[in-house]
Amino acid sequence: MQSSKHRSPFFSFSARDFAVTAGILACAIELCVILSIADSIDGFAYPIFVLAVLLVSRLTTGYFFGILAALFSVIGINYIFTYPYWAFNFTLSGYPLTFLTMLCVSLITCTMTTKLKQQERIRAESEKEKMRANLLRSVSHDIRTPLTSIVGVTSTLLETPNLPIAEQRQLLEDARDEAQWLIRVVENLLSITRIGDARAQITKQPEVVEEILGEVVQKFRKRFPDVSIRVAAPSDLLFVPMDAILIEQVLSNLLENAVIHGETTTNILLSVHQEGKYACFSVQDNGKGIPPKELPTLFDGSMKRNETPAGDGKRNMGLGLSVCMAIVRAHSGTMEAKNMGAGAEFSFLLPLSEEELK
Amino acid sequence: MNIREKILIVEDEKSISHFISTILNSNGYETIQARTGAEAMSMLSSHCPDLVILDLGLPDMDGLEVLNSLRSWSSLPVVVVSARSHEHDKVGALDLGADDYLTKPFGTAELLARVRTAIRHTRTTSDNDEIAQRGTYTVGDLTIDYNKHQVLVRGENVHLTLSEFRIVALLGKYAGKVLTYDYIIKELWGPRAGGDNQILRVNMANIRRKIEKNPAEPEYLFTEVGVGYRLAEGE
Repeated sequence: MQSSKHRSPFFSFSARDFAVTAGILACAIELCVILSIADSIDGFAYPIFVLAVLLVSRLTTGYFFGILAALFSVIGINYIFTYPYWAFNFTLSGYPLTFLTMLCVSLITCTMTTKLKQQERIRAESEKEKMRANLLRSVSHDIRTPLTSIVGVTSTLLETPNLPIAEQRQLLEDARDEAQWLIRVVENLLSITRIGDARAQITKQPEVVEEILGEVVQKFRKRFPDVSIRVAAPSDLLFVPMDAILIEQVLSNLLENAVIHGETTTNILLSVHQEGKYACFSVQDNGKGIPPKELPTLFDGSMKRNETPAGDGKRNMGLGLSVCMAIVRAHSGTMEAKNMGAGAEFSFLLPLSEEELK
Repeated sequence: MNIREKILIVEDEKSISHFISTILNSNGYETIQARTGAEAMSMLSSHCPDLVILDLGLPDMDGLEVLNSLRSWSSLPVVVVSARSHEHDKVGALDLGADDYLTKPFGTAELLARVRTAIRHTRTTSDNDEIAQRGTYTVGDLTIDYNKHQVLVRGENVHLTLSEFRIVALLGKYAGKVLTYDYIIKELWGPRAGGDNQILRVNMANIRRKIEKNPAEPEYLFTEVGVGYRLAEGE
């Protein structure tokens, strides 16, 4: 997808650039004509057209239009504004110099413009690259622990044949839990590929919120049968434009965090209500809340495992939450987290209609 | 002991094929395995299995091609098992005639449940067993009465409109199976009904409000987001 947008800098041709070029040159001709009527001296045509070429080179993409404008200007000046008027005379003294000047102005400006644009793109790309690198680091870290455990468990079972059944079972259960953790990491990664790069639009469709909640809760109950969860959806039918799979991922992540990071969570309330032109999704738990010093950096994925005291066996929620944030942002929504009297609340807003996005 | 159902597992990954076969064998099914599409095609006609578990990413051809050619001569139940998790992959396979779609990775309990459902639906000609015998379908507190065109919840008639009843009746006929939006729309409003599923969504929302205690925590009508709807299956 990236490559299709990435055109050769020399021959990029667009209707917009063509219009800009034509407009500027027309203005230059107009100006020269007016001046020649007002004042009959020669020579003003050159500086005006040099300026025109400079402007065209700066305002268009690539080299093509700049060079075209330079050529046009040289021929135009020769034809219209130098003696003999309305005729070509290529034997004029200094003619090659004029031509060279124009060409140089055009080439230098085009080069500078192109470089400027390239630098901008490189900066944006390097930022994205940095984000991706952060993500990869956090993911590799997250994946290594469960893999170690799975490999450990299976080799233990293979190498110690007379382990008591109960112990074998315990080991196998551990391995299964770890594998399920890996599955969830992979699901989050898949969501990221679905969002694609920042410029690509996700495909949104109006979805009935209760259907989304229903599916999320059903999956949640299968995974955490011991945690009680209440669901509150508006009694009126509420359609919200979204990529349903991605929003499901956000809700699943938030619910899972409520259990795993809330630690003492026994009750969760998942609710949706309309707030003006937005739908507000919220996950409240009665766990131990978010450590206050983690609140400011919660969503940027920068939280490192070793910064959290003592909890190093525990997986950070960096990946899950930064995925949530990326998804909500891609929906032009906002997200926030706060501590309630007991436990934490994570909520996000999604715009109800496409017009709100602009 | 009655005749064991024979299940053909079409899967190129040895480890997956092996564990599926083990779990099915220990649950009383007979299994045969194919590693490629071509092998699967020949085994389909020579072994006459009762059900096919089909992986889509086969080395020699796309699993959908196997499904497509199978559907041209047989209505044998097919459970698709695939790592492709996008909704349009699911919808594509279901619309081609797959009976169910399981995304990898899946649990053994889930696999067994889907296999059971798929086999049950072929036992009787094409419809639900219970409907054929008694003209009703019951799951939990919900009863669909096909003769009287009524839906009862805890014995009370919930007053559905005609299209609402037809949707519930259709889902009941294939209880446990996901029906895609397109399929339901075509069954209800004919093949030329537009691709817009908004009307269906609104109908479903109304049905949920009449049948479920809490529409956001359904007990009977489940949504498979981006794919379609499924009615709970009785035990």
